[in-house]
Amino acid sequence: MKTKCCSDPAVLNLWYAIAAIDELESDHSYHTTLLEENLKFKVDGNGNPSVRVVNSIPPGKTIGLKQGEEEAELPATVAYGYIWTSLGEPENELFSIPEYEESDRRNMNAATVGVHTSAPRAIENFLDMGHFPFVHSNILGAEPHTEVREYEVEVLQNENEIVATKCVFYQPKAATTSSEGADVEYLYRVPHPFCSILYKSSPVDESRMDVIALFVQPVSEEKVRAHMLLSILDTDNDNSVIGQFQQMIFGQDKPILENQVPKKLPLGSRAETSIRADKSAITYRRWLSAMGVKYGVLSATS
Amino acid sequence: MTIESIWFPIAASDDLPYRHVYHAQLLGTEMAVWRADDGFVNIWENRCLHRGVRLSIGINEGVELKCQYHGWRYANRTAGCTYIPAHPANSPARTIQNRVYPAIERYGLVWSGIEPEGEGPNFEFLSNRHCLVLRAVSINSPTNMVIEELRKYQFHPSSQLDAKHVEYEVVEWSTNTLIVQAQSQNFSTTALLIAQPVDSYKTVVRGVIEWDDGLEDIPVLRHHAQLINQIRNRVESRAASIPVAELTPLNMIKPSQEFPSSPKQPESGRFASYQVTIARKWQTAEGVSAFDLEPIKGVLPTFQPGAHIDVHMPNGLIRQYSLTNGPGQTQHYTIGIKRESNSSGGSHYMVDSLHEGCKLDISEPRNNFPLRRDALETILIAGGIGITPLLSMARLLDHANLPYKLHYFAQSEKHVTFGEVLSKLGSSVVLHLGLGDSQTKESLHDILSIHQKRMHVYVCGPAPMLEAARVTALKIGWPDEAVHFEYFKNPNAIDDSSEFEIALARSCLTLKVPSGKTIVEILRHNNVAISTSCEQGACGTCIIDVLEGEPDHQDVYLREFEKAGHKKIISCVSRAKSKRLVLDI
Amino acid sequence: MKLYNYELSANCYKVRLLMSLIGIEWENITVDYYPGREHKSEWFLKLNPLGQLPLIEDDGFILRDSHAILVFLATKFDDTGKWYPTQNAEVLGEIAQWLGFADSLNSTAGSARLHDGLFIECDIDSCRSGAHRLMRILDEHLWFQEKQNNMWICSHSNPTIADIACFPSIMLSEEGGISRIDYPAIRRWCDRVRRIPNFIVIPGIFAAGPDINCENTGS
Repeated sequence: MKTKCCSDPAVLNLWYAIAAIDELESDHSYHTTLLEENLKFKVDGNGNPSVRVVNSIPPGKTIGLKQGEEEAELPATVAYGYIWTSLGEPENELFSIPEYEESDRRNMNAATVGVHTSAPRAIENFLDMGHFPFVHSNILGAEPHTEVREYEVEVLQNENEIVATKCVFYQPKAATTSSEGADVEYLYRVPHPFCSILYKSSPVDESRMDVIALFVQPVSEEKVRAHMLLSILDTDNDNSVIGQFQQMIFGQDKPILENQVPKKLPLGSRAETSIRADKSAITYRRWLSAMGVKYGVLSATS
Repeated sequence: MTIESIWFPIAASDDLPYRHVYHAQLLGTEMAVWRADDGFVNIWENRCLHRGVRLSIGINEGVELKCQYHGWRYANRTAGCTYIPAHPANSPARTIQNRVYPAIERYGLVWSGIEPEGEGPNFEFLSNRHCLVLRAVSINSPTNMVIEELRKYQFHPSSQLDAKHVEYEVVEWSTNTLIVQAQSQNFSTTALLIAQPVDSYKTVVRGVIEWDDGLEDIPVLRHHAQLINQIRNRVESRAASIPVAELTPLNMIKPSQEFPSSPKQPESGRFASYQVTIARKWQTAEGVSAFDLEPIKGVLPTFQPGAHIDVHMPNGLIRQYSLTNGPGQTQHYTIGIKRESNSSGGSHYMVDSLHEGCKLDISEPRNNFPLRRDALETILIAGGIGITPLLSMARLLDHANLPYKLHYFAQSEKHVTFGEVLSKLGSSVVLHLGLGDSQTKESLHDILSIHQKRMHVYVCGPAPMLEAARVTALKIGWPDEAVHFEYFKNPNAIDDSSEFEIALARSCLTLKVPSGKTIVEILRHNNVAISTSCEQGACGTCIIDVLEGEPDHQDVYLREFEKAGHKKIISCVSRAKSKRLVLDI
Repeated sequence: MKLYNYELSANCYKVRLLMSLIGIEWENITVDYYPGREHKSEWFLKLNPLGQLPLIEDDGFILRDSHAILVFLATKFDDTGKWYPTQNAEVLGEIAQWLGFADSLNSTAGSARLHDGLFIECDIDSCRSGAHRLMRILDEHLWFQEKQNNMWICSHSNPTIADIACFPSIMLSEEGGISRIDYPAIRRWCDRVRRIPNFIVIPGIFAAGPDINCENTGS
């Protein structure tokens, strides 16, 4: 289908997470907005989701309004603890996160947060390490340890996915048990224009990695709901402690994302000055251009 | 006259206190406005060139503005990028320069424009007298509606706030500016009222009145604030009925804008891009003259600590001199020149023949001796005139409050160069006076013996001292990449007897380099652009990436590990050991 | 001292900030406000039937409401008497007045932030316009304070709990779509608050730069 505001096939036919299952009461209707289209959704007692388009609810309002005329049912599925839907006809299956199935992991939605930015700006920030000492000061980084060392980025052609490897960044208090700083290793995947998965060396098990995923639901071109999935190895802390840590990290990114001008991500190579450390961002921008994504970006030619 | 060419007030002088960044907007363009510690008012486009983050949420560090996102630093005055923390070992490209809007501070207001023309605002009734700046008020309305209402601005003369009867005279100075005189009995006050178009739907009213210091200002300011608030209420209630859709946005930010200014120069040969005059010349130490070089027109470009310029002398000689300036100081460049006894004429000429008022041509600053700001401690070691680049570094480290020591080896107290600047750096400066060769070596050993992880040392001075420092550091176990040198000249005798071929990967050219000719000469002869400075293998400007082949390194710029890597060549002196070099140009 | 705390709550931040500025040690009891809605849980409603954060427990004494807690903490623990000068009737009156103002900021700018960030329902347009109305008043007040060489909200040479109470909703307003570009005096005051010695941040607020003039910090 074509929405009122979005006619970008590269974006319409994708799956989007719209809500965390754990936060929903079964058989209760909720509203949200996806690509400027108002949706009504619920899960039934068996955990089966349904999502419909609603016409007459003004954007921005969520609850307590008269329900409008409903349109046809949209595709809906549950994955990684979220309801996913699409306004088009999704050609591909949802990307896989095999770690999610490992039995000893703690899987949870750390938060769903609204941000005044575009979906690709949120993803690009998620891929960035250079801001750690300045935005997540004394948590994910600390001055003067600011150097972003060489890392590798490639686009896996079969999967149509970006992977950045050998990413290393200095982190003060690398583990809860130590007061010393150390290098922490990261791996980033971008399997979907508005979803990214981060792997980070686990402080409790050297051989494995914690998984933090960001699933961005574009509400409009300049407004998003960001869903943060955690799938981590931690036996000591409550979910609320783990979740609040991630909320805090994202809360620190928020004023940056909301102060980027323009909010849409410029894809032209000269619009913003990139450096070696931005290799994954440069790859991401090119990849969006190559796929013909128009939503939430400023195209190279415009 | 277009609206872009008009000077508008965008802030009051009082809006720019110490270390603050003011957020302004004019004609849809957002501006970050900040006063540097030297008093200079910077008005910049409000976005970091890197990822577009508003600089108005950044940090005013006094001489540089720091972006909140990745800590990029932009210099006072020029808005050139001076430091990119993600790559601490590299100097940022010169093209990374933010858009700057002109600034004039007059009548207690800061004036600017998109591309303003002329000498700026001139209101005779406010000149040469005290002004009182009224509280600026932002109104959600198009500017024309605000001006309409401002024509009815009925205030009282400052000394007659309770007057019953006041007469007015309104002068329409321009579409956005009114001059209103209020008179009661024999007292009058004249007010300048300006409507600053913020964007198509927002206007800031700014006002200045002539002021007599004998009066109490608060009641007068309250009187005006109340009147302007009333105007706001009236205008906004009328403006609220205008459909927003009818408003066309003014000059909104164009995100795809190319980088501002810095015209591309032909990168061939050694050319001078700036004309300067010697604004001041003085003897700063025995045998050393200092020169302040001021631009004849415009502003000097951004530099980073460690940078040098080429000075083109009227007698045709070209010499390199390091800038000694502190961060953000670009009103003039300061260089120090020692009168060398065995000089080929450059230093003699500069010291003896040039006087204040003389004109010189200089190149833009180049930095092949960049200072990392991520060291846990920095050690600077200077010998004699080698103090010059290290002085600039010390001033930055001092300003940024980063831990460092500057060890300065000089013949005697009289030979201490730029002593007046050094004395301000306090206990971070350690003088080593009158030491002989072996004592110097001992001191170097002591200084370098405290090596720890993430310390960096920068050395500049005479060749024997550099050599001693290099050997000592190596012996103590300093890693190569933590030891940084700057040579003034290459003491090595160049062997240019070899013959070889160079293949230029990007230009698809293969050229022969015969004995007696350098790579640079051959490139120039074939019209391949290459920029150079010292042309003796010391400064590093003509560095080229090597893709294949083994270079025959004859320079003193590359460090040992870099030479061993065969990945770079200093093309003005170095040659090839292999028959062929593939160069990445 | 126990603080029932949610890291991203602007009202909890007021309390954390004052405790840091005065130097009070405290124990963190994390309440999962979001997504857990633990402030509406049975155990928490027993402590605070209003189901609101923050709440403190000091030696068995339980107190809710961020502004009440500020008053209590400053009175009991601030030996200098700067933050809540109990001997100065005028300033106490002003503080009470501005604490009320801070409540209005909470219910406008604060609600807009929760609406946009955590999808908590409110009439967003009237929250935003209400916040702008309050910020115009505060900006004018602070502008005149500066003209009289007073850098803080109340007529006092030091910052008071009135500054602490107003600061978070103001400084986090952009998260609710409320720009501060029209309020230069508020922006300068925000810089001054961020430069008070022992200032701490909350996600959404950055520390001010180092190396500042100590004259104006009120320390």
